[in-house]
Amino acid sequence: MNEAAAGTPLIESQGLTKHYGKTIALHDVDMQVRDGITGLLGPNGAGKSTAMKLFLGLLQPTAGAATVMGEKPYENVAVRMRLGYMPEHDCLPDFMTASEFLSHMAQVSGIPAKHARTRAADMLRHVGLDEERYRHIKEYSTGMKQRVKLAQALVHDPVMVLLDEPTAGLDPGGREEMLELVRRTGREFGINIMLSSHLMGDVESTCDRIIVIEGGAIIEQGDVSEFTQETETFLIDVDDRREELMTALELRGLKPKISGASVVVLLRSDDQLDAIRNALVEAQARLRRLAPSRGELSDIFRRSAG
Amino acid sequence: MSQAQGEIYDLGYQHYDGPRGGRFQAVWSLWINGFRTILGLGRGARAKILPVLMSLVVIAPSAVFLVMSAIVPIAQPASHAEFYEAISLLLLLFSAIIAPELLIPDRRNGVTTLYLVRPLTSFDYVLARWSAFLGVVLVLTLIAQVLVLIANLLLAEMPWDYLQENWLDIPRFVLAGVVITVFVTTIPLAVAAFTERRAYAAAFVIAAFVITTPMSALLSMEWCQWSTTYTVRNGEVSEGDSVEECGRITGDYAKWFTLLDVGRAPMHLINLMFDDAEDFDLVDDGVDAEDEAAALVTELPLAVPIAWYAFLVLGPGCLLLWRYRSMKI
Repeated sequence: MNEAAAGTPLIESQGLTKHYGKTIALHDVDMQVRDGITGLLGPNGAGKSTAMKLFLGLLQPTAGAATVMGEKPYENVAVRMRLGYMPEHDCLPDFMTASEFLSHMAQVSGIPAKHARTRAADMLRHVGLDEERYRHIKEYSTGMKQRVKLAQALVHDPVMVLLDEPTAGLDPGGREEMLELVRRTGREFGINIMLSSHLMGDVESTCDRIIVIEGGAIIEQGDVSEFTQETETFLIDVDDRREELMTALELRGLKPKISGASVVVLLRSDDQLDAIRNALVEAQARLRRLAPSRGELSDIFRRSAG
Repeated sequence: MSQAQGEIYDLGYQHYDGPRGGRFQAVWSLWINGFRTILGLGRGARAKILPVLMSLVVIAPSAVFLVMSAIVPIAQPASHAEFYEAISLLLLLFSAIIAPELLIPDRRNGVTTLYLVRPLTSFDYVLARWSAFLGVVLVLTLIAQVLVLIANLLLAEMPWDYLQENWLDIPRFVLAGVVITVFVTTIPLAVAAFTERRAYAAAFVIAAFVITTPMSALLSMEWCQWSTTYTVRNGEVSEGDSVEECGRITGDYAKWFTLLDVGRAPMHLINLMFDDAEDFDLVDDGVDAEDEAAALVTELPLAVPIAWYAFLVLGPGCLLLWRYRSMKI
């Protein structure tokens, strides 16, 4: 994992653009993904799936380039031997046992038959489907199918997996189990992950880094810790001279916003609290309330999407 | 201090450091999977009913002939081309019914997506599926022809002499087998690439072959009528000579309309291979429609039936590849 961090990024795009006819699914996206778990966060139709399909080489970019481990997967399919993909939609055969299906998928990814069977059995054990592995997939519950989908993405021991909405269609319990599996895959198995979700909770609890994407463009990206810090919001209520306060805050590099009766400021460091005090003094505004409101990713997301 | 005996250890996740194959391994694995899917292997008994039944149907004419050759003393050696004639429709039926199973469930279940993110291209996928089906049909066809060969050897007074005289039949029927299997593999698979329902694909293929047969026969059919001249002399009617007048609805174009029977496109080539068509005698009574069509086709330039066959294979073949290349995933 550390090698990847030092060398070329696992996933990289430059000016990546994808049009479907007149619809622009992705526009001029530059991103770099290194090791660990990266979350692609955005509402439905933001371009998350399109981005993943471009990195897998399932789609040809309209413009720009998508590279994975230094290769363009659309042109060189061999790189997919070390890539895994869990699609959002159904992708499992009805009349095959999970064991048979995983072994087949491992072989299609280049693993010889005798190793494929062992890998299939191990992988099913890791996702918690040991007992049921000789049953037809048709008989599985949604949660079990979702585990088989994850297992098939990992069965050939990829360097990186792309998980498209892995919690889609699961109940809260199933969601937490799936996210725990994703965390184990990243932390214990040492497999790098790109995970897409429209749920901030999923991304916040699972990922190291977040790329917020909307309308086919990246609007924010950074470490999860930065995101939660950055969203440490302060509410300032003043009785008068609000305009002057806004100007004074802006002068100090803060970006105040009006929200209802309050002035809202996003803080990046504690030093900036001093800046708020100084601005209040300079504006000679009468302070009524100064309160932190520790935000969550949802704030960022709402703000970005807003 | 170790207190545990026979404790179970979770070894945790193991990375795979062994050998990895490339595209060839991917295609080979898909081929094997296709082969198993066609025959319903690894699935319940119900999945095996159709393929087994259809395989028996394809082999039945040759098997019956073999049994006859052993028990009926007056039986005569039969031509391999004739047996292709007999099973070409059965092979089409087999393909029309079984081929959709190979492509449609993959697309409907979404498994195609999983294949296409693995180290292979859409061309590789189509090639693996196509050749798996081709393999199965070719084996069936050759079994049928080998049975005919065994029957002929049993019927010959001197089997060794028969083999020496007719050994060329073996490469011929193998080549003919390839010609017919490529045909019956490509068209049903191409149709299966465009529908989500197996039954529609099968019905479409069967209908296309069934409808064109009588249409072609009608348009190239020979009509004959007897005209008799009657003479009236002194109030008595006397019958003159009867003259048969024959002609075809489409006149000189009739030979072109034989091509309309698309299911017979490979048969025209096979007849050329076995030189049988020359033996057909139009004037002979009791010629059946198939012999007549075969004879009419020989009036066309040699390149025409070959080009027609090539068109009927390459056209659907290209459609099949195009469909998978441009598929929305």
